[in-house]
Order: sequence, then structure tokens, then C-alpha cells
Amino acid sequence: MVSLRVDSIRKTFVGERREEVTAISDLSFFCEEGEFLCIVGPTGCGKTTLLRLIAGLDKPNAGTISVDNRIIEGLNNDATLVFQQYSLFPWRNVINNISFSLEMKHIGKRKRYEDAQYYIDLVGLKGFEKAYPYEISGGMQQRVAIARALTYNPKLLLFDERFGALDERTRHRLQEELLTIWQNQKKTVVFVTHNIDEAVFLASRILVMRDRPGSIMEEIAVDLPRPRDRRSKAFLDLHISIREMLEKILTTNTK
Amino acid sequence: MRHIAISASRVILGFVLALFVGIPLGLLVGRYVLFHRLFSPIIEILRPLCPIAWIPFALAIFKTYTIAEVFGVRYTTSIFGHIQLGMLFVIFYGGFFPIFLNTVHGVKSVKDLFIESALLLGADKNQLFRKVIVPSSLPAILTGLRVGLGVSWMVIIAAEMLPGSDAGIGYLIMFSYELAEMDILIASMILIGAVGALLSYVVKVIADQTSFWQAKER
Repeated sequence: MVSLRVDSIRKTFVGERREEVTAISDLSFFCEEGEFLCIVGPTGCGKTTLLRLIAGLDKPNAGTISVDNRIIEGLNNDATLVFQQYSLFPWRNVINNISFSLEMKHIGKRKRYEDAQYYIDLVGLKGFEKAYPYEISGGMQQRVAIARALTYNPKLLLFDERFGALDERTRHRLQEELLTIWQNQKKTVVFVTHNIDEAVFLASRILVMRDRPGSIMEEIAVDLPRPRDRRSKAFLDLHISIREMLEKILTTNTK
Repeated sequence: MRHIAISASRVILGFVLALFVGIPLGLLVGRYVLFHRLFSPIIEILRPLCPIAWIPFALAIFKTYTIAEVFGVRYTTSIFGHIQLGMLFVIFYGGFFPIFLNTVHGVKSVKDLFIESALLLGADKNQLFRKVIVPSSLPAILTGLRVGLGVSWMVIIAAEMLPGSDAGIGYLIMFSYELAEMDILIASMILIGAVGALLSYVVKVIADQTSFWQAKER
């Protein structure tokens, strides 16, 4: 059963000098239910654009995106995008940020807080319910953003370079937490990153994107056993081969 | 003391009126292109017109009718007998623009990121407005209120100095000038400053409580 299907989509923008810029061209892939799909590629290859299209925030100029064989028109109700930048509502404390989607469903305050508490505990934010986003660290803000997305209970979780701004230790810990959540909650995840190490550590399958225009260049199934050892030979080999692919993309560009 | 109370009640009433018109209109104009197109030409023309320039016009139109008279009460010693419609109009006008313009600005500077996040978390249009756009632009709105109140307070003093005025702190200043009572004149001026500062402080306290998050963001 195919959960997400992206079928030969094209996306163009009008550039600064009114010329047409093709961000994504003839891009297709599918993502099975329960998969952890990582998309890597050079900066500016249209990864964020791709996620915005899947979320339904933008429309493709050609091609279709469908979830469970239903073509999405307008906002994709089955997906939630966890943005690259900090998107927490600064006027709401942690618990009110996390329970936002429940509030939108008109669920009473008590039930809302009860449900939110489950996700707060899940991402390890117990004791910070009343804190405001500006009072907590970047890593904790990421956790709140993840919990807020989980509370919406989407079939499809989209991540846009979530952990890019964090230091390595926090990033590794969040990656492990995300994997645990993914395994326990049985979510389908599409995770965009430019960090190869991150992709190899997380993904069950990796798509390598090329730029100008953005399209899928390579597809790699990652069947390393979990939890993955970053120092194992198989891990490093895969890391190096992806790096070589990306380098090849960059050198063909400069020609 | 009575003069101050009369001036303050005129200002507060006019200001509340400006608030109830300025904020909703600002929200609509900031959010919907249609409203923006509809109102912005009118507003661009009216905005450079100083509220004080309206005082003679307001006097001509509204004469010296008071609120009490509008409600059919002829002779009264209550405070409503001293709130002239013309003055109310001028205060409303002075308070309206800062409130309105700041609200528009606040709504326009709500980050797309917040709007898109809310939509992706299942917010409908109505919820988006109430739960994201209003709270997000609240700090700007409150700045508008503070400035608007300040302008209203300045305008009322000028309005009260004109002929036809029978009470209020501005009237007191002119009156004491004519009687060459410098001590009352100076005391009044000090009082004007003090009350203005107090009004501004009250709004600031309210503002700080509701938009505490803004100062600490970045």
C-alpha cells in the first residue's frame, strides 16, 4: 500500500528579473506507509519547496501529489510540516502550543491538557508546561514543535531540516528520540536534510536530489540494523558513497 | 479637580470610541485586500489632516450639543452635560489614526510561518483570525492605543481652549490666562502632564502584561 505518491511534479517561480525559474522538474517518488524517508541534496535544490508542495501550502505547476490514492487539492489534511525555522507561537506557553491542534478541534481544556501531557512526557518536557518559547533552549523548542505536530496526529510527518541549527550532541539525542517516536507511533516520515550523517542514521530509504532543476537522482534503501552505529564500516561506506554523489552533482554544476 | 475629571471623561469616551472603531477596522484592512483597497485612499487623505484642524468644523456641525442633550436631557449638572459631541468627534479622530494604523501594521507583520503552522494544525479561517492574527498583532495594537491616548489628551486641551467651551482643564488654562492667574495656569499645566503620564502608564502596564513575549523574542 502506497501512502504518499509524488507523480512527475514541476514547480516554477518567477525570479527577481521576472524570468521563470524552475525549482523542481519531473520529480517522482513514492513513500510507503510506515517508512522513514530521508531526502538529501545540495542547498537550494528545492527540498523545502518539495515539502511545501506535499503539505499543500503551494501547488505544483504540473503533476500530482496523492496520499492513499487521493490527490491533494489545497491543504493536505493528512500531513503536518515541522518547519525549518522556529514556528512556535511566542504568545503561548509550551502546553498551549502543543495542544493548539486540539483547541482547533474544539476539545475542552481539561481533555486537551490531558492529551497534550502525554506528548509532553513523550518528548521529555515534563515540568516545562508553563514555560514560554523564549524561556527554553533551542533543543527544547524543537521538541515542542515535534510534540505539537504529533498532537495533530497526522498520517504523514514532514520535517524540514529540523535539527540543523543545533549542536551535535543535542542533534543526536533528538534523532534518537525521533526514531523512538516513529517506531512507537507508527508514523510515516519524510525528513529533509543536507546532513548525510543524519540521513544515514535515520532513514529506511534515502532519496538523493540534484539541483537546477530539482529532481531525484538516486534512491538508496538503508537496511542497516537499528540502533545504527555511526562508526561501523557499513555506515561509513554508505556515508561516503552519498557524499560522492553530492560532490558529483556540485562538480557538474560548475562546468 | 472637576475640570480634570471633565477633560478626562471626554478623552476616555472619545478614546473608547476610537478603539472600538479603529481596532476592528484595522484588523479588516490589514487582513483583507478588498478592505485595504476600499479604505486606504480615504485614510491617506484624512491622515495628514491634523485633528486640531477639525475643531472649528466640528463646532460648526455639532454646535455645542452635549451627550445629555442628545438623550433629551436639557439641564443637568452631571458630567454628560459637559461632553460636547464636537469635542468627542475631535478626540475620536485624534485617537483613531494611531490605533488604526498600528493595528494594520500589526496584522500585516504577522509571520507567514505562524499562519501556515496554524493552518497545517487544522485551524480554520475564523480560528486563524482569533488565535493567531489577533494575539500576534496585539503588541502593535497596544502601542497604537498608547499613542492614540496621548494624541487624544493633547487634542482635548486644544479643543477646550476654543470659544464655546465651558469647562475642562484647557478651558481652565485659558480662563486663568485671562484673569492673569499665573499660579493656576502653571498648576494646570503640571496637572496636564501628570494626567497624560498616568494615562500612558496605565496602558503600558496592560500592554506589558499581554505582550511580555515580544520583548524577549530575539
